[in-house]
Amino acid sequence: MTRVRPATADETRSDVAPPRRRGSGLSERALARVFVAPSLILMALVALFPVLYAVVLSLFEYTRRERQGFAGLGNYVAALSDDRFWSALWFTIVFTVTSVAAEFVIGLGFALLMNQTFRGRGITRAAILIPWVIPTVIAAQMWFFMFNVTPGFINSVFGLGDFNWLGQPGWATFAIVFADVWKTAPFVALLLLAGLQTIPVEITESAMVDGAGRWQRLWYITLPLLRPAILVALLFRTVDALRVYDLVAVMTGGAFDTESLSVLVQQYVVRTPDPGYGSALSTLTFILILGIGLVFVRALGRDIAIGRTEGAR
Amino acid sequence: MSDTTTTMTRKASVPVPRPVGRRRLWVKAATLLVILSWCLFPFLWLVMTSLKLGDRALNSPDLFQGPFGLANYRNVFEQDFHLNLRNSLAVATMTTLICITVGSLAAYALARLPLKRRLILLTGVLAVSLFPPVALVPPLYEVWRSIGLLNKWEGLYLPYTAFELPLTIFILTTFYAAIPKELEEAAKVDGATPFQAFYKVVFPLAAPGVFAAGIIIFVAAWNEFLLASTFAPRNPEIAQTVPVAIAAFTGQVEFQRPIGTITAACVVVVIPMVVVALLFQRRIVAGLTAGSVKG
Repeated sequence: MTRVRPATADETRSDVAPPRRRGSGLSERALARVFVAPSLILMALVALFPVLYAVVLSLFEYTRRERQGFAGLGNYVAALSDDRFWSALWFTIVFTVTSVAAEFVIGLGFALLMNQTFRGRGITRAAILIPWVIPTVIAAQMWFFMFNVTPGFINSVFGLGDFNWLGQPGWATFAIVFADVWKTAPFVALLLLAGLQTIPVEITESAMVDGAGRWQRLWYITLPLLRPAILVALLFRTVDALRVYDLVAVMTGGAFDTESLSVLVQQYVVRTPDPGYGSALSTLTFILILGIGLVFVRALGRDIAIGRTEGAR
Repeated sequence: MSDTTTTMTRKASVPVPRPVGRRRLWVKAATLLVILSWCLFPFLWLVMTSLKLGDRALNSPDLFQGPFGLANYRNVFEQDFHLNLRNSLAVATMTTLICITVGSLAAYALARLPLKRRLILLTGVLAVSLFPPVALVPPLYEVWRSIGLLNKWEGLYLPYTAFELPLTIFILTTFYAAIPKELEEAAKVDGATPFQAFYKVVFPLAAPGVFAAGIIIFVAAWNEFLLASTFAPRNPEIAQTVPVAIAAFTGQVEFQRPIGTITAACVVVVIPMVVVALLFQRRIVAGLTAGSVKG
């Protein structure tokens, strides 16, 4: 394919395959444009436009929902000098780093085990989908009650008496991270397992014949070959973890130093409405999360986009 | 199959036959058990707790201590949970239908585009998939408030569609790209227009992929909580969805969550979802891995 010039109307017409009958069909290129348009329009209207509109809103001052006047960058200054913003940012980062790390280690362990086991793999693979399929809110309620003092299931299993997991800083974060790892580690395992299955058995076998031990094979053969799958899984998990809302909202409501950026922003929409300040916070959050995502994508190179669509060919 | 060859090579190189094999079998069984109980044990807790009567659910951590009964389930439906189910079903179905229709057109075009342009478009789509949903909450709330879409199904499924479209496009582009172009060309030689070639030849062939994408979108829309709890926080009669209801159940005592009602509602939701996950396991896994990892 050497056609890089933009197509003019004339070319589009001359592009049409010779056996075309009647005037009812569109040419292939025009069709491509018509096909892509609805998706782009929808995403532009409901995703891109609000993000830009937030920037506009963030420049005004509000008292409850009444617009008071132009504020310039006042809302941003207020946000950046608010301790609550920094503590939400800190929690979000701690949550993301610990949960993604734990999910990766456990997920990789599961994937390696499942890649070996031949009998019962079907059942395990089905079971592993279940934490993924259920709503996060349900997982959050489940772990809330298991960690909670009443009925105190986890405390009774480990003989901890009335230990208040959710009622103190630190352990509340632990409980939220735990619930997230429970729900998502199996999903990571699934993604890594798919990657593992593309590694030809011959490679590991020949390493074995050369006398490589189990850990050597893992470190020098499997992990390097699994790199693309690992990076993509990490990208998506990181971006997803930075958005954390459901678990925090249900398990602690943001108390005990567990307020995440999403919870903080949401607070200024309904509970203490302030469209200006809320939009400033949401814009900051947007820049942060998109920024981290783009850094990842850059590091990965563009092979995510290529790898994804070319792999099937 | 590949596993037998592995064991054979191992036997050839490491001449320790029987006990190792036996022990490996035990290790495998044990790991299976660990993974299974990781994934499934919390559901045993959930079901047992939902069946406990009165305040037993709140007071006794012992899973098997009764009395048991279905009172919690009755309570769930007295609080209009069936209306929440209806709302979630409507919102998730609309999201899925729009995403599949709009997304599969785009994915088909992308799969057939020359690589360079496809890359530019896919990079744009990837950027949208990195958008944090919370960035939309304050501005969309203001827009929805002024055009009256708060507490409406539309107010939920429109943004869901925008968020699920990138994933839909990624999954479907993979599936469409796997369909040989020759089939389409043959259809065109037989006199089909490009559009006919798409919906009569390619679309049916991509059906498994479309189905997988459909389930994944449906699940995501069904589970969404942030927008749902902000744009439609109350009123099951109108638009409150299942996750919002599950987070918002109230009991007789203030500040105490009704554990029985909540766990029962969770079981009501979890059972059909588990059935779907088990029935379409292969498809879902294929779709998920196509959407993210493709090596």
